Amino acid sequence: MGYFFDAARAMAMSLKSAFRKPTTIEYPFEKRDQGPRARLTFALVHDEHEEEACVGCLMCQKICPSQVITVVPGKKRPSEATGKKRGFADDFVLDMNACIYCELCVQVCPTDAIVMTQEHMRPGFAREDLVLTMDKLYANEQEKELSWGRASILLAMQDPKRGTDQERAVTKKKSAAKAATKPKPEPKAEVKADEPKADTGPTEDAS
Amino acid sequence: MSASSAARPSSAAPASAARLGVDPHRDLSDYDPEADLMVLNMGPQHPSTHGVFRLKLHLDGETIVRAVPYVGYLHRGVEKLLEELTFVQATPIVDKNDYVSPMTNEQAINMAFEALLGIEVPRRARYMRTLFAEMQRIASHLLWLSTFGIDMGGALGGGTTLFMHCFREREWILDLFELVTGARFHYNTHTIGGNRHDIPAGWAKQVHTTLDLIASRIDEYLELSTTNSIFVARTRGVGILPKELALELGITGPILRASGVDHDLRRDAPFHAYDEIEVKVQTEPDGDCLSRALVRVREMKESIRLSKLLVDGIPEGPICGARPIKNPTQFKAKEGQAYVALETPRGELGTYVIGGGKNKAASPYRLKIRPPSLHALSALPYLLPGHSISDTVVILGSLDPIMGEADR
Amino acid sequence: MIPPIVLHGLIYGGVAAIALLTLTAWGIWFERKFAGRMQSRLGPTMVGWAGLLQPLADVLKLLQKEDLVPAQADRTLYLLSPPLTVFFTLATVAVIPFGVDVAVANLPIGVPWILAFSGLMVFPVWTAGWASANKYALLGAMRAVAQGISYEIPMLLTALVPVIFAGSMNVNEIVRWQAEHHWIALWPPGPGLFAFVIFFLSCLAEANRIPFDIPEAESELVAGVTTEYSGMRFGLFYLAEYLHTLVASAVASALFFGGWNGIFGLPDGIHWMLAKTLTLFFLITWIRWSLLRFRADQLMRICWTYLVPASLALVMISALWVHYAPQLGPMWGG
Repeated sequence: MGYFFDAARAMAMSLKSAFRKPTTIEYPFEKRDQGPRARLTFALVHDEHEEEACVGCLMCQKICPSQVITVVPGKKRPSEATGKKRGFADDFVLDMNACIYCELCVQVCPTDAIVMTQEHMRPGFAREDLVLTMDKLYANEQEKELSWGRASILLAMQDPKRGTDQERAVTKKKSAAKAATKPKPEPKAEVKADEPKADTGPTEDAS
Repeated sequence: MSASSAARPSSAAPASAARLGVDPHRDLSDYDPEADLMVLNMGPQHPSTHGVFRLKLHLDGETIVRAVPYVGYLHRGVEKLLEELTFVQATPIVDKNDYVSPMTNEQAINMAFEALLGIEVPRRARYMRTLFAEMQRIASHLLWLSTFGIDMGGALGGGTTLFMHCFREREWILDLFELVTGARFHYNTHTIGGNRHDIPAGWAKQVHTTLDLIASRIDEYLELSTTNSIFVARTRGVGILPKELALELGITGPILRASGVDHDLRRDAPFHAYDEIEVKVQTEPDGDCLSRALVRVREMKESIRLSKLLVDGIPEGPICGARPIKNPTQFKAKEGQAYVALETPRGELGTYVIGGGKNKAASPYRLKIRPPSLHALSALPYLLPGHSISDTVVILGSLDPIMGEADR
Repeated sequence: MIPPIVLHGLIYGGVAAIALLTLTAWGIWFERKFAGRMQSRLGPTMVGWAGLLQPLADVLKLLQKEDLVPAQADRTLYLLSPPLTVFFTLATVAVIPFGVDVAVANLPIGVPWILAFSGLMVFPVWTAGWASANKYALLGAMRAVAQGISYEIPMLLTALVPVIFAGSMNVNEIVRWQAEHHWIALWPPGPGLFAFVIFFLSCLAEANRIPFDIPEAESELVAGVTTEYSGMRFGLFYLAEYLHTLVASAVASALFFGGWNGIFGLPDGIHWMLAKTLTLFFLITWIRWSLLRFRADQLMRICWTYLVPASLALVMISALWVHYAPQLGPMWGG
């Protein structure tokens, strides 16, 4: 008899959840907000002088645990904007076939040149489609929304001598540097409207 | 029977296994000649072996007379790989070991490196690590409950309902992790000396909302599981693991606590910030599948309580006690060794590392990971004989093995 | 020249079979949708409006798939088993009265006919498991036979209760008797309802539905007897399972809930039968997606220690009732 009673309770529970709003997100038609820190694919960015920020220093190639980055550093030449001599990368290939999305290349970049994006890369039909060439990486800068993570932001955040970090979804390098030098802000109690809201789940229904 | 298995010494079994009346190396050549024994290879491709795990079952009808587990199908040579990579590159790799609880994996390897390199972790980072570990425990136990439901209710039935609900809750916790680290699963958020990502503004409030909701939902899902008499009928008295055998096999975590041993590293050998908060260790005396389920469910509730305490109590300060990662060889270890063990959702995860000295200063000379799942699986030959195939999946599920961790 | 009785059988049988298969297809759609909602999902949404054409897409997909036969398999039995399951299930439909005097065959031995074909279901399942040359399939078939034969007994005994009350083995006559007197599940207060509950549980077991789905038990036996089947042959097993569920619902509503008989004096007809059948189908679906499954030995214990004695007692009680209190009508008259 206990079986009947417990079966009834279990059935009541499952019926109750049948009347809740489904949590499914129909992916190609609607997209989930993954928050500003999402690490989904890569982009190479230009600096404030509209020049390629990558100086071809090979730091990302060296740190990559799965060794998917290949950089061909070019000769140093004077920058067109500032006239100073600086390095350039002749080629930059990131093979997404084996990338583990660890964000270490972003963290070690001395010029904030490589960043991750908040949008997924498009799936491809061949392995070659997953290899991000330099062109694709620079195209990603234009096409996709860039993530919050930058070397300067991450390093400032991890600075052993620093207080807590006032971090917002900063995209500009300057404001990030400013934020890093700022004194400790108050613990933020209120959630701002532009706050990351990826967990649509908990607010999905009040029941 | 084949000659090799017949030649195995029966005396290899621990003395306490005799209490179970089970000999894992049983020589079946003297088994009742009338019986038509069948050998069934459960796995490596089987829906409920929790990964690629193979169980060789000797069946008399549907009753198991001998069980031999085979591990190693998911061996990737992680330990050797970590010896080739440098200290700073190790974290994203060990994420893939226990893929249900990556946070604790990262913590384990980084704690070992910190002990080897002599680096202090700031208080804020220790609190954050504790919080992440507790939240990961909730997520991991939710995944266990869901797959346990699948084991008992099938992929086309009430088990899936439990599965989907628990997964939804787990997703909410992963969402919270995503807001901090940017990744849902393989976070790479810990680094040598602390954490890489600070928690964003307003995150604590979201943690509270989510955890409140999960706490209110858990009791609901228990109607389908531990408080349901069908569940109880399937698990009570099934796969009893006596205390002595559990200790002899080196089993840790919820499985050991369900066998009546009050042992939890969070309380007994505090790491992170566990010395500053009080952990109520959950135990059950019986050691059967129901006990293991109850212990995990109660741990889940306890973790919710702890997480809410921790998220409010995170102190201000830096989150990293060492120079942030800037190049692969920045940490150089002297000759020496370190062993660090911490309590993951599955038990005691130990990491033993030897520093290389001059020639190999930037990477571990030797690294050994002691996974709790492997030890839990070693109990299977003792637990399974005498039970039926239906019980096999229940017992296996109650051990909560993660093959990525067991095989490394 | 085809004799009229054969023509009648062919036409009615064809119509009934097609109607039932269609109903089954959308039964599957309903189950998927309902299960999805229970699990915080959406269920099928893409094929047709709200995924209504999903069953069609499934069938097309299954038809395209390769029809694999294992090298070790007993070819004839292996290929023959899936169509046989569907055939035996469809055969039971013959005597079910869907509307007032609407049945393929108005057989005087309707109830034994249903039970006989339901019992025959064990054979194709067993041959499928045996012929697959697969250990999981064999174990599944073993379980299926044990379960099928065991639950046959309470099912048979409880089906006797309406027979005793109505004094006829003709299903149509039983429904007619219920329309004239009262539904058997409602009066007399004890035996009818309990007989229905036991009959319903046995039907769940016969149709391999959770919590009695141990022959399939995909977490233990991969897919039970259907492990080696692929493509449309697997689809036929699947179809037979749903068809069996639907037919069991129809039989239960005919035997215990007055079939086509309307309530509150509303006109009788096929719509009532349909409504009652679908309600029971919904109940089965609901149970399926809410409960975990039993273990094989627990299942046997439930059957032999509870259901068989209980159904025997019910048969005795109903016989005594009919003998000693035939005039005792329900309190609402009738």
